[in-house]
Amino acid sequence: MTQTAIAQTPTKSSNARQSLNPNPDGGPKSQKQMSKAERRDLQERQRAAKAAAKASVPSTPAAKSNTTPTGVTAKGAAQSPASAAKKSGKTADGKPVKGEQEDTSHLHTHAQVDDTTRGLRIFSHFGLPKSPSVTKGDVHPAIIRVGLQFSDFKITGADARCIAMLTAFKAVIQDYVTPPNTTLSRHLMTHLSPQINHLVLARPMSVTMGNAIRQLKLEISGSDIDLPEQDAKNALCSKIDNYIRDRIVIADQVIQETAGKKIKDGDVILTYARSSVVQKVLLHAWEDGKRFSAIVVDSRPMLEGKAILKALTAASIPCTYLLLPSLPSVLPHATTLFVGAHSIHANGAVFSRAGTATVAMMAKLHNVPVVVCCETYKWSETVRWDSFSKNELAPTPFPSSASSNCHSSRHNPDIKTSHNLSVLCPLYDLTPPSYITAVVTEVGVIPPSSMSSIPAALGRTIGA
Amino acid sequence: MEFSIAPLRPVTREFLAIVLAGFGNELVPLSGDLGNQPCPKALLPISNKPMIDYVLSWIEKSGIKGQGTRPFTVLSDPLARPLRCYLDVLLICPPSHRPSISHFIYSESLASSPSLCIDLQTFDDSQGLSVGTCSVLRHFSSRIKEDFVILPCDFIPPPSLPLSKLLNKFRIETMSDGAIVTTCWFEPPSGKTTVPEEWGTNSQATPIVWDNSTGTLLYVDTLDNTDRNPEEVELRMSLLCRYPRTNMSSKLQDSHVYVCKRQVLGVLQQKGDFESLREDFFPWLCKLQYQKTRQLKYGNVLGNLEGSEPSSPDEGHEDPSVTGSLRVGIVIHRAKDGFCIRANDLPSYLEANRHFVDSASSYTLPSDPQMRSLIDAKASISPDSIIGDFTKVDERASIKKSVIGKHCVVGKMAKIVGCVILDHCVIADGAKLESSILGKNTRVGSKATLVHCVTQGGYEVKDNESYRNERLDITDWEAEADEEREEDDDEAFGDSDEESG
Repeated sequence: MTQTAIAQTPTKSSNARQSLNPNPDGGPKSQKQMSKAERRDLQERQRAAKAAAKASVPSTPAAKSNTTPTGVTAKGAAQSPASAAKKSGKTADGKPVKGEQEDTSHLHTHAQVDDTTRGLRIFSHFGLPKSPSVTKGDVHPAIIRVGLQFSDFKITGADARCIAMLTAFKAVIQDYVTPPNTTLSRHLMTHLSPQINHLVLARPMSVTMGNAIRQLKLEISGSDIDLPEQDAKNALCSKIDNYIRDRIVIADQVIQETAGKKIKDGDVILTYARSSVVQKVLLHAWEDGKRFSAIVVDSRPMLEGKAILKALTAASIPCTYLLLPSLPSVLPHATTLFVGAHSIHANGAVFSRAGTATVAMMAKLHNVPVVVCCETYKWSETVRWDSFSKNELAPTPFPSSASSNCHSSRHNPDIKTSHNLSVLCPLYDLTPPSYITAVVTEVGVIPPSSMSSIPAALGRTIGA
Repeated sequence: MEFSIAPLRPVTREFLAIVLAGFGNELVPLSGDLGNQPCPKALLPISNKPMIDYVLSWIEKSGIKGQGTRPFTVLSDPLARPLRCYLDVLLICPPSHRPSISHFIYSESLASSPSLCIDLQTFDDSQGLSVGTCSVLRHFSSRIKEDFVILPCDFIPPPSLPLSKLLNKFRIETMSDGAIVTTCWFEPPSGKTTVPEEWGTNSQATPIVWDNSTGTLLYVDTLDNTDRNPEEVELRMSLLCRYPRTNMSSKLQDSHVYVCKRQVLGVLQQKGDFESLREDFFPWLCKLQYQKTRQLKYGNVLGNLEGSEPSSPDEGHEDPSVTGSLRVGIVIHRAKDGFCIRANDLPSYLEANRHFVDSASSYTLPSDPQMRSLIDAKASISPDSIIGDFTKVDERASIKKSVIGKHCVVGKMAKIVGCVILDHCVIADGAKLESSILGKNTRVGSKATLVHCVTQGGYEVKDNESYRNERLDITDWEAEADEEREEDDDEAFGDSDEESG
């Protein structure tokens, strides 16, 4: 069986070049002996071979034109590196085996080459954000709207997305009617599943959304079976409101107080991109009378720092704005770094906007304390060591920053993807625990090594 | 066996589609009466499909998917079907058109959009006065409880512009920005066909000003403004202050597709003197975006930002009195992206038919043997024609680039080039038709010649007559008939009956 495993391992191994022969030590296996996956692989290879045979006939003249570097037709070599990249980029699509494509890719003019994909050679599994155009099943209009806002990046940030999602769920719950022969506590969750799927299609789910949904499921399954329907729905809506109030709003207020204590007069506070929590901390500290100045570090393509800059300058806090590459020049002047987080993990790592890790690492080098402000509902019990396994890509064309109605497209020009250039913009990165000084949550100021004790601090056994 | 009654489910509708099927005054004489029966503009065929069919199938493609195939069947309860339509259609027509439109909707010819729930309502008005679309909307505002989409019956949407694109833009913008309307403007196809002036001029060039980066419609030049000041377009400084980089064009035409918030009806009630949506109301609405005094006056009616609190709740409470931007969004469709037209006057109607004839797949003889027998082997039908069912084409007839409806009779040696012929027409031997539009039941006598003509339904062209660039009304015919003596009238009737037989 191990032999077959080698023969069938996709695609990037050189064994795949002999892919027409499924069994490298000779003798094709009978179909009965092969497993389902193997049979499917064989079928696809045969299909691809047939198509290759068809394509090789008209493309032999194309092969000659491949030698000329200029003036290639659309079918010629111009697409070949792109198509090769696209083929290797496609993973679980069930498309023809890539090993074959490496042989014949420069001849392939497959209709399967999706012109809208970006042909990433690496990290293609980050996935392309697609807009949910087809609404399958019964998706509530409020969820459609929220999904559109997510996919358009009009609502960004873990907190904002979670609140928007929960507000939409309240509308869904209020419009829900229990079908006969079942109860609300059993059926409502199945009713909510397609709505959640729609949101996930718009943008992959964030940890905050996942935690909120888990909590909601708990509440739904625990709702009293004897309650009249409207009461049950009202109770659920009030529980959702309580969740938002307790875990987000009040948590933010506690964090403002706690983190505010770390800010003294004359401090220079460094912050990166836009975290709603950090923004609140700074504004609150300023209102409290502390007089400090702020440095906002920003990066393309999202340019979210502009939004926090606008808020801070509106409160007359003296600010400096710079892009990430010029960070080393201001670091000697900074006293503290405050960043927000998308999620915090059991091993103490912080998953946040791409660039945070760089800023944190440089701050550590310059002995600037790195303070992460984060509510406990962002805690995820998974352990993460790198940001490669799961991430997201910024959409193209790059979204204009949310707060501006002016023409930021002038400052943020679209990089046209040609066949020699593919743009890779991951949205998140992971800051290892060694770079973090402290995490400020509503249960206290925690060093990264004891992040796994957060659920215990909240009074729960597992999970948040 | 257990029968349980499926409970009445509340229909959470997101949009209501309102299709306005007017008289079609620009399409006279085509939309004139055929005897006693009116020919509604909505049912005039384009490439043998009634105009309104295009709009209805466009609506259907955008929203109602959940009722047909349902991949997410409710697991535990097969009887419970939530009636969740995103779109429902309210079709408004004049009372005289109601029977024919109702017949069309509920017959099998609407097989293309089976799952639309269409509600047909009439608006009482007399044909003479063109009652403005504003009054129609005001009249029905009690039926409209949610956000709505206004559509004309004569819009031929391009395949590359789905209605869901407009709906999505509206959804995003109302939530994030407080926009109130989303409109669609398109570039009409450059007229490749020469159209005689008697058919009416294509004077629909309204200059508009819009902002490209945010997709906001800023200013629409109305007829009042052109009357007041034909040389200049006056723009307010507040407009330019808010949107310093704008585009201006007079090539675009309004598609009359408006996606609006419910609160817009409230403002419409207040402005009682507006007549037409396209000409009065929406250009006025565009001004709300940048005129502060008007914003204050109407801002509370239009409502604050509803449900658009993307940031945490306490941030949203900072400015409770801030109204939304009250923007009017715009989606622009360029001619190169697809064919798009509003077939509300004769040149556009002909152009729409021409387009479908050009892009239709080549004509093949009908497969039904009975229908095929009606078409003579010696008739020469060019591949870019469309011929309806049960049409009889005699030998040596030559048909090029035309659309011919059902149950027509084309006589021998007839030459038809570039025409649009509706159902039940009879064209006698030797007739020559060029670039004409014949209404239903028209009879063309033998050896008659019609060039660039439009006939009303039921018109009879006598033998050997020749018309050029004319709109032929039944009143003309009756006027001529009155001149002759009554006996001649009877004879003429008798003759034409024999001919048509």
